[in-house]
This record gives sequence, C-alpha cells and structure tokens, in this order.
Amino acid sequence: MTDSSARKRTGGFLSPRQLERIRDYVPFVAIALVILLFWAISGDRFMSVRNWTFIAQQTPVLMLLAFAQLMVVTTGSIDISIGSSLAFSAYVGALGMLWLGDGGLVLGIAAGALVGMCNGLVISLLKIPSFVTTLAMLIIVRAVVIIISDGTSIYMTDGSVSGGTNISSVAAPWLLSLGKFPAIFVAAAAVAVLMWVFYEKTLFGQQLKAVGGNEKVLRLVGINVTAFKVKVFAAAGVMVGIAACVNLARAGAATPQAGLMIELDAIAAVALGGTPLTGGYGSVVKTIIGALTLTIVRNGLTIAGVPPSWSQIALGALLIAAIAISLNRSKVDVVK
Amino acid sequence: MRNSDPPLLEVKNVSKSFGGVQALRSGSFELGRREVIAVVGANGAGKSTLIKIVAGVYPPDSGEIRIKGRPVDLHDHSVSRMRERGIEVVYQDLALVPNMSAPYNLFLGRMPRKWGIFADKRLMRDKTREVLDQLNVRTVQDLSRPISDLSGGQQQSIAIGRAIAWGKEIVILDEPTAALGPNETGEVERMVEEVRNKHGTSFIMISHNLEQVQRLADRIIVIHHGITSQEFKRGKATADRLVKAITVGI
Ligand SMILES: Nc1ncnc2c1ncn2[C@@H]1O[C@H](COP(=O)(O)OP(=O)(O)OP(=O)(O)O)[C@@H](O)[C@H]1O
Ligand SMILES: [Mg+2]
Repeated sequence: MTDSSARKRTGGFLSPRQLERIRDYVPFVAIALVILLFWAISGDRFMSVRNWTFIAQQTPVLMLLAFAQLMVVTTGSIDISIGSSLAFSAYVGALGMLWLGDGGLVLGIAAGALVGMCNGLVISLLKIPSFVTTLAMLIIVRAVVIIISDGTSIYMTDGSVSGGTNISSVAAPWLLSLGKFPAIFVAAAAVAVLMWVFYEKTLFGQQLKAVGGNEKVLRLVGINVTAFKVKVFAAAGVMVGIAACVNLARAGAATPQAGLMIELDAIAAVALGGTPLTGGYGSVVKTIIGALTLTIVRNGLTIAGVPPSWSQIALGALLIAAIAISLNRSKVDVVK
Repeated sequence: MRNSDPPLLEVKNVSKSFGGVQALRSGSFELGRREVIAVVGANGAGKSTLIKIVAGVYPPDSGEIRIKGRPVDLHDHSVSRMRERGIEVVYQDLALVPNMSAPYNLFLGRMPRKWGIFADKRLMRDKTREVLDQLNVRTVQDLSRPISDLSGGQQQSIAIGRAIAWGKEIVILDEPTAALGPNETGEVERMVEEVRNKHGTSFIMISHNLEQVQRLADRIIVIHHGITSQEFKRGKATADRLVKAITVGI
C-alpha cells in the first residue's frame, strides 16, 4: 500500500524514512519469495499438509534458540555456546528425569541458566569479549557433556516396551507426544507470546536495547550494567534450557552430539530477522520469521533434491543477501 | 550567611590521576544555595575530571567532599548516591542513548514501573512534554522516535531537561552550549536563570565562552594545570584578566 505508492511517486529514489519502512518488510518479503520459489520448483511435494506439519515440528527448537541469541545480540554481544549448552541442558534434564521422575526435567532448564550465568560472569567480571568467552564455553561444555554421558545417550520411551535393566531410558510418553505436531506448535507459540511481551514490552527488554545502544551512558547514570549482563546471559540460558527440553521431546533422546553447529543457525535466524549484530535493535516477530525462513529453505532444498553441500552454499548466500538488504547502515557506525 | 549555614557543597583538595596522567592535582571550591558558579580553564586543565568526581563517576585519590556540611563517604561514592542527593550532570558528550526515545532517556536510571516489570509510559510521556515545554522546545513531535532522529539542539534539550528535572539541589553543566546556535544558547541561559529563581537550584557550569560566563556566573573558578588557582566574584574580572588566569595561571 504505502510501499507501492511511495515507489511510484519517487521513481526509484526513496527518502531514508521510506527506505526504513521498506526495510522493515524485508524478512516478510523474503519468506514469501522463498515459499513461492519452492512451491514453483517442487509443487505439491513442498506445499503439502504433511510437509508443513514437518516444518511446524522442525522450527520450534531453532526459534527458541534464536530467541536466546536475540536477547544477547540486542545488547551487542554474541553467544556461540548455545549448541553445547543445548546438549548439556538436555542431558541434565534427562538425568533429572531418571533420578527424580518427570519433574526432574526442570534441571535441564536450570543447567541452561547455569551455563548462561557462567558466560555472563566471565564476560562482565573478567572483561573478556563475549565471542571469545562463549567460544571457550562451546568447547568446554561439549566436553563436559561427553564426560558425564560417557558417550552414551538417554532415550525417552513411550512406556510400551519395558526398558528392562537398561538404565539409560526413561518412560515419558507425555514428553514424546509434546514433541509431535499440535503440542510442540502450541508450546512454542506460548513461549513466543511470552517472549514477545518480555522483549518488546518490559523494562528488561528496553534495557537490552539501551545497553546495545550505548552501554557507557548507562554506567554514567549509575545503572549496574555488569549485573544486568549476567542476567541477560542467564535469561538466554533459560531459553536454551527450554529449547533443550523441546529438543529432547522432539528427538526422543538426549545425545552428547545434540545441537552441533546449531549456534550458527540461531545467529543466522536472528540476522535473517533483520537484527543488526551490533546491537540496539531487534524484533521477536521477525526473529520467528527468520527461524521459519531458515527451516523452510533447508527443507525446500532437500525436497528439490539439492545435494547437502550445495544447500549450505545457498543458505550462506541467502544470509548475506538478506542482511545486505535489511541492514540500516545509517544506524550502524562501525562494522566490526 | 556563611557563618550560620554550611555551604551546599564543599570540595577540598581533591585529586585524581589516571595511570601516569595527573588529571587533577588539587581542586577546591564551594557552592552556595541558589548560586551559579562557572569553572573555566584551558583544554585538559581538569575541569571535566573535577565535576565527574563531584558527580560520583569516580572517587578522588585524595581530598574531601561535603554536602551541607556532612562529609561524603568516598568509599561509597557513586553516581546513584549523588543522584539520590539531587545532583545531576549534563555531560560534555550528552550521555544519551541514541536508539531510545526521549522519555526513556529522560528517565534513564529511574524508570517509573507499572506492575513491577513494565514502564509507566503515560507518566513518562507527560513528564517529558512538561520538561520540554519548560525549555520552550515545541519542535519534538513524535516522542516515541529514537532520539538519534532529533537535531543536535533537540538532543541537547533532552539532556538538559533530564538534569533540571531531577537535579533538585545542584545541576552541573559541562559545556552545555558548545554545540548550540545563538538562539538555543540564549534559551539555555534563560533556563538556568529561571530554574535557579523558581526552584532555588544551584548550578556549576563549565564553559569556554567567557562572555557567557561573565553574564551568568556569580563566581568564576579558574583551573590551571589541574589546580583551582583563582576565584573571581561577579564583575571583578575583565575578560583579559580571565584569559591571563586561564593561560598563565596568574
Ligand atoms: N578517563 C581518563 N583516563 C585517562 N586520562 C584522562 C581521563 N579523563 C581525563 N584524562 C586526562 O586528564 C586531563 C584532564 O582532562 P579533563 O577532561 O578533565 O580536561 P577538561 O578541562 O575537561 O578539558 P576540555 O576543555 O578539553 O574538556 C587530560 O590530560 C585528559 O587527557
Ligand atoms: Mg571537559
């Protein structure tokens, strides 16, 4: 509406304000184009209820991890430890269920919070950049998972087959059904609504953006930014913990290899959602779109029979293209 | 008056070094109620350092600060503490968060809460309008826009507005008009007079504009190479005399 009229009037030359408004729509246009493209290529094999059910099951874990990343990125930091943290949280959650019964799953969320808090403490107190800190945590936490799991997995069963003496399985039919279509979608939607309120409406969410905007100023007026950053990483950790529980439900097992490289997908989803990695701005809705776009592209390329390596190249190119279009350069003074 | 009441603010022999740099060697001055004082000095003389110590940004290496006769505990010296005592600063580089709105910046560090976790947006918007009106700024229409969209002068008025809105006792202005045109400069000067007369607020003003200093200040403190070397009452120093004090220290 405003878009097309603006374009007609200006004939290619747009005012910054109009450009900004158009940029706001980039993630939505991108996802529409991607859907149309794969529909054109693969037809009903892509545009089927079955495939969309699959996509609806596949997106939530990535979306939740992207939420965690969004909080951190908005402050101008980054968290690349979340893949390992996901595996750790899921494993601890599964152990909790083994030891304490169903309620023990919350230990998984606590484990995520713990990793996040460690990240935050190291970054704020030792003043080590978040990239380096969380890179170290990525390596350390993965090693911890391998050590405590001794390389073995814990399986969730539906209880019909008795595990016998095998201690590495838990009967949790409720969790497995949570990992399937309607339930996983509803659960993810509920968390998304909470996240939207948290990020867009609360003072905490505003402060995320303010820290990303100019952290020095907040210190100058007496705000304890150090403590706040620890809270941010802990909150992101809680979100990773929730993602880990959903992943446990979806995969039906806590494996030491869970979440390998998924931190990169989470960063990509945030970036596809138009959030500058320099911090200060961000959007929950667009991050959801980003996660969905990434899932759809991966799914569409597979259905179209594109070999995995070529898919990766296409994904990388898409990421650069999306950021190149949506980045508001007037709001980013330095590129690091 | 001096005999009966202690001055509002007393700063005695405060010093500060950063690594090897002695930014401030010995800063002393007093500030009375309803008084406007100016601090002048060459670039790098230590003016900003002196007022940042008063504001609680950093504790001095030595010296003491008294407010209404009571010593400030310099081991527990922080911006929040000084803000609680009604001391506000407009910093040289404004100290605004560019990607946030005018109301957010105005309430920075003291957000009014609603239901514990939300901001009281209406209260913030109304107060912002009120403060901007007081400064005769009527050009900021959309208060929800990030302030990086505003002009330099408008941003300045947000920074000054924040200080006068909360600085019940002392407002410190570090080169408040350096970036402003003549109209805006006049507006700031008028505001200083008005707030002082209406609310009895005291001002400490740093400025390189000697005419302005002579117009506004009851007393002028000269700082030379990190030492508050001289003091002049209103009308007691010609511009030439001030320049000499600033550049040569005598
Ligand atoms: N945080 C800091 N770290 C290191 N050196 C500093 C710091 N702050 C100030 N200095 C140094 O201390 C000296 C005094 O600085 P200050 O900012 O107080 O000067 P000023 O009088 O405000 O100057 P100007 O008129 O240029 O604003 C300068 O040499 C400056 O380089
Ligand atoms: Mg200065």
